[in-house]
Amino acid sequence: MHITYYMRCLIAEPWFKMQTLHMTNSDFTAKLGNVSDPIERLTRHYENPAADALAAASNGVPVVGITSNTVPWELIRAAGAFPCVINSGNANHPDIPNFMEEGVFEERIRAIFGAAISGELQHLSLLLISRASEQEYKLYLYLREVARQNPNLRIPPVYLYDMLHTRTSESYSYGLERTRCLKERLEKLTGKFADNALQQAIEESNAARGSIRKLLSLRQPQPKVSGTEALALIGSSFFVNRDEYRRLAEQAAKLIEQRNPLTGKKVLVTGASLNHRNLHQAVEKHRAVVVAEDDWWGSQSAGEDVDTGSGDFVKAIFEKYYLDTPSPRLFPFEIADAWFQKTSADEIDGVVFYLPPEDCVTGWDYPRRRRYLDERGIPHLIVREDARSISEECHGRIEAFVQSIEAGR
Amino acid sequence: MAEKQLNCTLEAGEHQKARFAQLRKNVFEKQQPYAIVQADMPFELFHVMDVPVVSNQWWAAIISAKRLSAYYLDTLNSLGFHEGLCRYCSLAAASTLAKDPERAPWGGLPKPALLCARLTCDCLQRVFGIWAEAFGSEFVFIDNPGATELPPRWWELSRYRWRELFEEHRLKLTVAQLQNLIKVLERVTGRRFQLDRLHDLMERVNRQEEYFEEAYKLICSAPKTPVRMHEQVANVMAAQWERGSDWAVEHARAFRDQIQERIKQGVAACPNERLRLMWVGAGLWHDTDFYTAFEEEFGAVFVWSMYLAFGPDGYIRYGLDDPLLALASRTVSMNEQLHNPPWANEWILHHARQHRIDAALVLTPLGTRPAATGNRFIERALEESGIPVLRIVADMVDARGWDPKAMRQMVSEFLTHRVLPRRTLR
Repeated sequence: MHITYYMRCLIAEPWFKMQTLHMTNSDFTAKLGNVSDPIERLTRHYENPAADALAAASNGVPVVGITSNTVPWELIRAAGAFPCVINSGNANHPDIPNFMEEGVFEERIRAIFGAAISGELQHLSLLLISRASEQEYKLYLYLREVARQNPNLRIPPVYLYDMLHTRTSESYSYGLERTRCLKERLEKLTGKFADNALQQAIEESNAARGSIRKLLSLRQPQPKVSGTEALALIGSSFFVNRDEYRRLAEQAAKLIEQRNPLTGKKVLVTGASLNHRNLHQAVEKHRAVVVAEDDWWGSQSAGEDVDTGSGDFVKAIFEKYYLDTPSPRLFPFEIADAWFQKTSADEIDGVVFYLPPEDCVTGWDYPRRRRYLDERGIPHLIVREDARSISEECHGRIEAFVQSIEAGR
Repeated sequence: MAEKQLNCTLEAGEHQKARFAQLRKNVFEKQQPYAIVQADMPFELFHVMDVPVVSNQWWAAIISAKRLSAYYLDTLNSLGFHEGLCRYCSLAAASTLAKDPERAPWGGLPKPALLCARLTCDCLQRVFGIWAEAFGSEFVFIDNPGATELPPRWWELSRYRWRELFEEHRLKLTVAQLQNLIKVLERVTGRRFQLDRLHDLMERVNRQEEYFEEAYKLICSAPKTPVRMHEQVANVMAAQWERGSDWAVEHARAFRDQIQERIKQGVAACPNERLRLMWVGAGLWHDTDFYTAFEEEFGAVFVWSMYLAFGPDGYIRYGLDDPLLALASRTVSMNEQLHNPPWANEWILHHARQHRIDAALVLTPLGTRPAATGNRFIERALEESGIPVLRIVADMVDARGWDPKAMRQMVSEFLTHRVLPRRTLR
């Protein structure tokens, strides 16, 4: 196989990358120590998604990386590990084309793969891959195979959490069983799972969800925080300890509450998932406010609390992630569209559909959702280019769109 | 269109056409239910319940061969579905959304009672959901649990040790979903499902695939291939779409016999065969002449595609005391076996060696992206074994953007510069 110089270094010297990562982490921690503003702290966490995970790993805490929102944070936490969504890595790593077909995998999945094969994730005790999308399942198969063919590469152990998201009684039973198996796997990983640990983890996580909902309430109906800012405040919840997150988010919400409402037209973003803020920045540059996004990185990140009423905590956790967490696999359409329909009809001035060139899934939803908006007279715009580098032409279309809704509604 | 060298190829074509005409007649005149299904669905359940099926991929191939794919895909785009979406699985749906039955092949698809798909990519529930709405028909899906036990040489376990190979929890879920599908079929037909009929059908499918196994082993051992790849595909798939039927079993036997006879008589598909080629991926349905284009100049013959080889390795199940469980095991991993590491790369390499392959052409269908997964692993496995690979970036059903002359030129250069020199050295 073709291995770059960088990968050869990793095989020959496992500390090659770890040293680099630790230096980065130390810099980050030192800089963060001087920051008292909770909004800035959370934003820095959002922009340095691996920082706390690396700090935990260097302190001997097992770190479990997760690939998206549908892996139960509470189970990992209850097992005494540090859960962290992986949102780093280089999607253009030179070794990726040796394994991944061009144009087949989205940027975020390529980046996770690149991070895994280049040793950037060797601080993880486990990489827990969810079945939120088919691409993640393929990521799991690819990493397994790369590790089989190249046992010297520093790829963390991978585990597939195979919760299917289709709404059938068969999928429900299967998902519950898989969740119980995941708990067993995590118990084996850390060797601990205290009796009250699950309840504590649920309480901690529910409290963080409450803080996110508070932040969301400051976006709609009267926005006091821009979408660009909100996305970082919410998204950082995937990278830090949730107790710490709750504390900072509550402080941030208090500060934001004191602000005057923003005056721009209110826009909803839907379509492909956005693990960065460029599209929001582009829309808001033209005087609109993104008040919601149909995305687990933003408005759909928290949902409702885990309901512990039944006393079966594992089941309660499973149901939360099965019934109240977005996924591209959600079906039927009535359920997949429910949040979009409710939100777009709720004092939204316009909708931006984000369908980047790499999209091969959400484009199937576009004509149906567009029809829903047309029937209600809600203006919409489609963005078909990569939001990481929005062209002048696209900026012009966004500006014209915002102007048209300013004029029309 | 290349000549048909085997009588059974012509018979297969006629049979399929007549079968579709009969299906239309039965649907329109007798209001009989039929189903449109994804190619990897358990067709056996429909056969047992006497519900005729039309495969989504078969219909897409027919549309493509009739040079209608551009028209339907343009229609799909005009409805707001962007050009980056998958084409193979949606082309047949597009032919319904176009609402132009006059233009459709053989009068077009009538309204089905059911549409059914396994959810092996995130597009399928969407494509079939949209299609079902357009027809006003019911959509039944089978969700696809992920594989975690992945012994590389799966084909050595799949016939006898399938219970362990395909993992108990995955089989349990799949059986539950098959039982759900059976209930739907019972409701639609008003008939009771009979397990012993399934058992008998599964045994006949085994027999059919054993004939295909004999056929491919004959192809492996013959000095020159007695049957071209595209004729293999035509014969095999005509039988697989109705696997286990009397016609299908008999056709598989006739296919095997005709190959045997040609070998006995020393007949080669291409008498000047010098290079044996492998085609990896779905067929290039809009340009099947491509597969014979390199015979005259290079003596390069396409010998292998997945279609013949997968029948024996993928379908045969021994130990049919629980036929529904065995059927679940046949169904549950087709995607992993054909398109994903480690199973696809190991299996294709195994067949490349068995078939004495000199070079492989690997289809990377950017217009059907999920079908492109696993290709880099396949390519590397072949190359590392000394088999040169040419990557073909094209769509299996969409002729838009396909330049037949340029593609033939590219393959000619590949054969000249990468394959023939190696052949000379050996």
